[in-house]
Amino acid sequence: MDDKIVKPEPPLGGPPQGSRPHAPVGDGCFLGEEMKPQAPSYKEALARIKNWFRANSLWVMAYGTGCGAIELRPLATARFDMERLGIAMRPTPRQSNVLIVSGYLAVKSLKRVIRSYEQMPSPKWIVALGSCTINGGMYWDSYNTINRLDLYLPVDVYINGCMPRPEALVAGFQELMRRIKKGEADGWRHYMENLDWYKENQKKIITDWDLPEYNW
Amino acid sequence: MKEILKEIEERFGPIWERVQRPKLAQVGIEPAKAVPLLTWLKEHRGYVTLVHLSAVDWIEQGEFQLTWLLGNPETEERLMICSRIDRENPAAETVSGLWPQAVTYEQEINEMFGVSFPGSPRQGVPFILEGWKDIPPMRRDFDTVAFVEKHIPGREGRKHIDTRTYIGEKFGEKGYLHD
Repeated sequence: MDDKIVKPEPPLGGPPQGSRPHAPVGDGCFLGEEMKPQAPSYKEALARIKNWFRANSLWVMAYGTGCGAIELRPLATARFDMERLGIAMRPTPRQSNVLIVSGYLAVKSLKRVIRSYEQMPSPKWIVALGSCTINGGMYWDSYNTINRLDLYLPVDVYINGCMPRPEALVAGFQELMRRIKKGEADGWRHYMENLDWYKENQKKIITDWDLPEYNW
Repeated sequence: MKEILKEIEERFGPIWERVQRPKLAQVGIEPAKAVPLLTWLKEHRGYVTLVHLSAVDWIEQGEFQLTWLLGNPETEERLMICSRIDRENPAAETVSGLWPQAVTYEQEINEMFGVSFPGSPRQGVPFILEGWKDIPPMRRDFDTVAFVEKHIPGREGRKHIDTRTYIGEKFGEKGYLHD
């Protein structure tokens, strides 16, 4: 009963208050075309259609960082079968648009996660799974794991619990789809607009920084 | 196990020994004789498997204890060879020439405890901790909580709510009494 969806809150002392709350995503940056100014109703309708498509085409990168990845196997296979929701696994970051950060993140794997996240094509979302991504969980005093994921990467949906069951994950994906359809899940846009703030935090924790400034 | 312990004592001088189970015994030996003993056990007595290599920090005695756990697949016996080295500038002889997998163990012990194994490849190459600047984290004088509070930002915990007081305030005294 502990498993419930927590909406991400803006980080404490947080990033510059940018565009996180604003809704319409239909500015043509995904289709790659310059859209001429249109009547608002047309633009809004197009944005809704695009968001509906996006919400029903979630491709999860098959990458597990911590013990939470064990919950992805029953979710992906016959028992809970996430393909009935239109969610499937892809093996590389360039073919996927959802990153599940499953559990604790060592500083070493944070570097790889950042690198993978930046290689994903642009409407992309992060589902943070487990208590460790929220406040460190049972590894809060470990010398090598981070305690808050949203300082380094924009999180769209948190699923708490240690571990959350696959049912909670399904509920989290439904919440993510609802937020995408409403145009609220724009963490990727927040990341691009506040890149300096995120990069500063990342460089504080990753002491041997050798990543490019951004992998387009 | 008694025969092999007796033979070790005859060949390598005084040892500390303990038989834990019928097929598991522990041998303590001075560090200079540890690697000759391991070589002899591997070459002549069938202890061909290096199961594990670990370190323990005995900070009160000012020593690190290294333990090589050897396995004999024919008799299914196991021997723990323990050896204590000085905690200041700790160094031990490498066994990576005998068992190639020891390279990884020695790399990890080098990173986590600061024990150096001269001659072993990948010493000083980061294993888990990339860009680590503090003292090795598995040493017991490393203060983990202070390190986390200094370097790893976290979320402020929620306000502690005493269940009994909260229910009492909200529902009155009878809220939690079963009567």
